[in-house]
Amino acid sequence: MAVIEVTNIDKSFGSTHAVNNVSFDVTKGKIFGLLGPNGAGKTTAIRMINHIIIADSGSITINGQEVSPETQSMIGYMPEERGLYKKMKVGEQLIYLAQLKGLSRQEAKEATGYWLDRFEAADWYNKEVGELSKGMSQKIQFIATIAHDPDIYIFDEPFSGLDPINSEMLKDIVIDLRDQGKTILFSTHRMEQVEQMCDEICLFNKGRAVLKGDLRDIKKSFGKNTINIEFQGDSSFLDELENVRINNRSTNFAEIRVLNGQDMQQILKTAMDHAEIFKFERIEPSLTEIFISTVGEDNINPKELA
Amino acid sequence: MNLRQIVLVLKREYLTRIKSKAFILLTILLPLGMVAFIGIGIGIALWETETEHNIGIVDRTEVIYPRLEEANDQRYLSFSDTPIDTLRSMVINQELEGYIIISEENIESDKNAELVYGGSGGINLLNSIRSDLRDAIREERLDRANVSESVKDIYASRAGLDTRKLTKEGIETEDDAGFRTVIGMVMGVIIFAILLGYGGWLTRSVIEEKTSRIIEVIASSVKPIELLIGKILGVGALAITQIGIWVVAGLGLSAAAAPIAAMFVGSQVQQMNVDAEAAELATNPAMFEIPSIEASLIFYFVLFFILGYFIYSSLFAAIGSAVDSETDTQQFMFPVMIPIMISYFILFRLVEAPDSSLAVISSLVPFFSPILMVSRIAITDVPFWQIGLSIVLMIGTFFATIWLSAKIYSVGILSYGKSAGFKELWKWIKQ
Repeated sequence: MAVIEVTNIDKSFGSTHAVNNVSFDVTKGKIFGLLGPNGAGKTTAIRMINHIIIADSGSITINGQEVSPETQSMIGYMPEERGLYKKMKVGEQLIYLAQLKGLSRQEAKEATGYWLDRFEAADWYNKEVGELSKGMSQKIQFIATIAHDPDIYIFDEPFSGLDPINSEMLKDIVIDLRDQGKTILFSTHRMEQVEQMCDEICLFNKGRAVLKGDLRDIKKSFGKNTINIEFQGDSSFLDELENVRINNRSTNFAEIRVLNGQDMQQILKTAMDHAEIFKFERIEPSLTEIFISTVGEDNINPKELA
Repeated sequence: MNLRQIVLVLKREYLTRIKSKAFILLTILLPLGMVAFIGIGIGIALWETETEHNIGIVDRTEVIYPRLEEANDQRYLSFSDTPIDTLRSMVINQELEGYIIISEENIESDKNAELVYGGSGGINLLNSIRSDLRDAIREERLDRANVSESVKDIYASRAGLDTRKLTKEGIETEDDAGFRTVIGMVMGVIIFAILLGYGGWLTRSVIEEKTSRIIEVIASSVKPIELLIGKILGVGALAITQIGIWVVAGLGLSAAAAPIAAMFVGSQVQQMNVDAEAAELATNPAMFEIPSIEASLIFYFVLFFILGYFIYSSLFAAIGSAVDSETDTQQFMFPVMIPIMISYFILFRLVEAPDSSLAVISSLVPFFSPILMVSRIAITDVPFWQIGLSIVLMIGTFFATIWLSAKIYSVGILSYGKSAGFKELWKWIKQ
């Protein structure tokens, strides 16, 4: 069952066509990844789902209901540009934000107390946010996003700017929420995070959704056309290979996408002539590779995928 | 629009600010600052600015100098026996500011006496010398003419003008035009200050939400228009609270201070016991009785303040949303400030002639009304159609400004990183 249904949405700002005829569905109880380089239109799409900006055309429904102030309170949203009122106390602030999402003052108070306890932050209740460290205020930000106990969570670039501890914690929260049957949509330009967490994905490039579906299915459909190789010795042989694309390369490791049916045994032989091979493995392509081969090498700026 | 959300925003805006140190300090310090400011002004006005200039008098008549000496024995010194050349060199060496030679001609004919002086002292000194000399010569002429004391009294007397105001109801009342003018002026200035002060406060409040990046979290729960209205009302409620505190404190203080002031001035006058006129005033209790301000005037003051606040605050909020930091507000502040400044300047002309066509027309312009119409209502009887028309125009203007601001605001709050220019604003409005 689709909880978020996006159908043919369009959004332009002046002459920039930020989102161009995009459709995708988010299934209940899944983690959905919205991927693409910076400027691909992910944030604009997310803002439209949150009813912060209105689509020029097309429709977005949440649980079958057209987006509106009512659907806003079904969603817990953590924007890419995050922040809190610095001069306001942690407790009051969380209560206020939860009340804006439709909770009564009493409910908001209870939820705030519960989550502060759970994050072992109960003694921050009367502290001003300005006094907190960055990591601490990131925790408060999570609580603000989830305190009203919505069914749908949307995180825009959730891992950017997070310290490693909070990053791990957020991952655990997301998986935990999914296990409780909640639906999570998050956007990122960092592909490896998606591989670890997502069930479904939608790839964005230049305002268009270029690839979407179940992550496993997508990877399977590309076949085991990639080689992971670990070696010791001269790596210059990698440059001599033809009809390949090397995506991830370091002094003793490389991820080689084999193109045009090039014989993999041949590559192994070449490698063996030049270096000592520790590992040679045929695998499904990485998402980065999938993304590149979907939109075409000429259509992306590799730096944006870093 | 959802009232619940507006009330939540309003309450937060009000409660977090009313508890802030800035608000408490401002509430206490601003009136103290005003008192100090006015005190300094009065102090400067009362300051004995006159350094004594010595004027040598060569009195050939021997009757004028004693009169001048009586008028000011510090300034006028007798040099009747000193040669003119010596006097000239004394003026050149700045031992003497100047000298006057008075002869019989000056008393008997209309020939003017002549002051030869070094050029300093300014217009005040010249006026003062002229009037002293004129009085001395007139008194001497009267003495010589041998007129009776009663004629001399006539010359000494100054006829005045008392005024009474006839109201529409046909009742003659004590005229308080002077008082009303002061009230009109004060009300105009207060509204002027409030519009600027709280407008700026609102701008900062909007910028704060942008720079702290909380705005997108809020925007995912509240419509921009709800947020805008909630903030305007919250800061407005804060303004009314602050003014309320000042009014109550002011009334309390003046109630306590009036008898003390009356006592103080009264005893001083008794001590001096010279100026009969002043003594009469001091013993007249009406002088320290504050003429009552009509309830209708207070009503209009509040009404025009609120309408003016709505018109301007929506613009100030839009400014906040369009910029990325407080330092960038300047270019947009300017066009909003212009009408406020213009009405402030017109105010000074208006209090002198509150029924002139300048006053009538300018007080009907919605951007000027909050300051000018209130001032006119305080000073003069403004026809009701003018008051009504200005209120209708202001309400219409408010809908226009809030519409405009909501457009700018809803785009502006989500644009980070750089401040918009006028061109962008126009695009946002058209969107």
